[in-house]
Amino acid sequence: MSMSAADAAARSSQVSSPVGGGRRKPVAVRRRRLGETPAAWLLIIPVLILFSITVIYPLVETIRLSFFDIKGLGKPKFIGTGNYIKLFTDPAFRNTLWTTLVFTLGTTTITVSLGWFLAMLCSFAPQRTLPFRVMIFAAFGISEAVSGYMWISMLRPDQAGLLNSVIGLFSPGFAHPWLGDPNTALWMIIVAASWSGVGLPLMLCFAAVQAIPKTVLEAAYMDGAKPFAIMRFIMVPLSMPGVRVAIFINLLGALRAFDIIYVLTGGGPVRSTETVGYFMYRESMTQFKLGYGAAATVILLVAVMVISIPAIIQRTAGAK
Amino acid sequence: MIKFKGVLGRRALLSGIAATAMLVMGGAAIAQDISGELAILQWQGGVDAEMWKKLEADFVAQHPGVSVRELTITAQGDARGGIRTAILGGEKVDIIINTWPAFRKELADAGILRGLDDQWAGLGLESTLSQSWRDLGVSDGVSYGVPYTYGDRSGIWYKTSQLKDAGVEVPKTWEDFIAAIKTLKAAGYDTPIPMPGKYWAHGEWFESLLLRTGGVEAAAKLAAHEIPWTDEVVKTALRKYAEMLEAGCCGTPEQMFAGDWDLSADQIFKADAGNFLLLGMWVNARAKGDYGLTEGVDYSLFQFPALGMGHDDTSSVDAKELLVTANGENPEAADAFLTYIVSPEATKILAEYGYASPSSNADTSLLGPVQQQATAAVAASKVQFVLGDLLPGDLVDEYRVQLQKFLQDPSDANIDAVTAAIEAKAAESY
Repeated sequence: MSMSAADAAARSSQVSSPVGGGRRKPVAVRRRRLGETPAAWLLIIPVLILFSITVIYPLVETIRLSFFDIKGLGKPKFIGTGNYIKLFTDPAFRNTLWTTLVFTLGTTTITVSLGWFLAMLCSFAPQRTLPFRVMIFAAFGISEAVSGYMWISMLRPDQAGLLNSVIGLFSPGFAHPWLGDPNTALWMIIVAASWSGVGLPLMLCFAAVQAIPKTVLEAAYMDGAKPFAIMRFIMVPLSMPGVRVAIFINLLGALRAFDIIYVLTGGGPVRSTETVGYFMYRESMTQFKLGYGAAATVILLVAVMVISIPAIIQRTAGAK
Repeated sequence: MIKFKGVLGRRALLSGIAATAMLVMGGAAIAQDISGELAILQWQGGVDAEMWKKLEADFVAQHPGVSVRELTITAQGDARGGIRTAILGGEKVDIIINTWPAFRKELADAGILRGLDDQWAGLGLESTLSQSWRDLGVSDGVSYGVPYTYGDRSGIWYKTSQLKDAGVEVPKTWEDFIAAIKTLKAAGYDTPIPMPGKYWAHGEWFESLLLRTGGVEAAAKLAAHEIPWTDEVVKTALRKYAEMLEAGCCGTPEQMFAGDWDLSADQIFKADAGNFLLLGMWVNARAKGDYGLTEGVDYSLFQFPALGMGHDDTSSVDAKELLVTANGENPEAADAFLTYIVSPEATKILAEYGYASPSSNADTSLLGPVQQQATAAVAASKVQFVLGDLLPGDLVDEYRVQLQKFLQDPSDANIDAVTAAIEAKAAESY
């Protein structure tokens, strides 16, 4: 406790600097530097222009559209927050929130835990497991639309489907319409999405484990630590930065999921696999209610920001 | 002076002849001299896309100065979203292929289409398309669409050997049809109708049943929301649908939701695991092209069975039409293509692919036996455009989802719930 207090005091003294005005000085220095280097502005302007075109403009335009009632190619009508009010009273949208939550938690849990587990295993024999890691990571590079079509053939409702035929080895004649059953369709999509997504957590966690200094492991070994203890007290805690990044990336990807759902079920049956991302597509692209779809997009954007901003702040806090 | 006059006279005479010749030949010369790029917005795939390539090549062969650029929209099911995106994205095309009357109106309201009333006769459409076909392409009193093909949507496809082996005659009445389902089940077919309930095709059965219970008038009123979805005629059609489900036609709802019409077609024509498919005429092209079956020999079609409710002379139809745009860069070539699409050459290509043309230039003897049968059935029927293509976009989506809920539970109580839900959506859609 006393050490912590001392640490805190030391940090505090470093930040507040000796004589009052220490906080102002760096700002003044920064201002002077920017003023002195117009070249800096010249260099930053292309980035600012690109950022404005690719990020700021679409963002502002989406928010603007969300306040309009637009049907098809007809003229937009300003309705204020009407789309937002309608969204939260729309049972279809409320259903998508729940589906998105299940899908996001499901895929993130499966991909990250499986990826982390495989990374732990691979770290015991990094050279020999290289082909294995490459193969798993290759699935991450396959487009979700393509992998979706592969999963459609595996999940065919008749006995010709791979899953049904494997189960049929133990239960002859077995045939279940996995994607046609509202109780199994979402889980099948979670499995399909996780299959292609497990490569990234595997690589991130593997990289985190590989970054553990060899001296730490050697010291533990010299101190007589058993492999399980090394794993529990060194490898697991020190792989956590990789796990955190993997969770963050997976959460964001799952929240915006669309391709795999579009290909496998089209949001059905009876909207049981419709996530916010798919709802957004359906409203904006199929029904062309751009304003309503834009409002759903803004809601999704807020959800993404709620997750990403604390993570970005946390990751940036230690940056030099 | 005389000589002078004579020279002048000869010049005047030559000029006069030239001017007269130009006046006489002018129209034809301009028509033949079309050139430049003709942009066509295309969203069809498979053999239909192949047919379009052939049509375009034939048109270019007739007009060597023209090149055709296809703006292809890739779509699963409803292509309207992709078409809207392309148009809003600034794509300029001369011709849009369309099959949704509601979408034609939307495009016309947005000022994207060019009306054809002034040119209808000049383009030779007056003599090739009857008034009823012209009326089909009208929105708000203006002719926009030039229909180039149509299809029977109340025809039920089957594989001849399956019915023959099971000792089933082609059903003429609803009772025969229900009995045929039971016989086929007894013959080992678990799902005589592999219902394609994943997206939209499960609505086909409802739409033909609606026509046979309420007639074209009721269907037209429902499409325009002049009667509510809770009307008794809708409920009667759904109760008839329920009779089919209770006879064990289609397996479990989960089986129905597992696939679209292509999987159902595979089940019948490839896997021999089902028997009946109610769908448009594109099944003809698929049966020939993808399954290698012989039209009229390996497979055929019969008209929706008679319900005996006074409306058995009705059929659901679809049609595809060409729309010309107001901002197209080559209106002359677009107009020439409209004339071409109803020409004997184009209708012959359509017939090769199993498609009927409404043009008087079409030689129906070129059509296969099944297509001829379907064409004759449509000609003898009171027709109504496919309901799903007439409804506003957000309503049609709700309509299809609620029909899925009906398939899950076809009880009277659920019919009330389902129709009430569609009506609630319809109330905000019109």
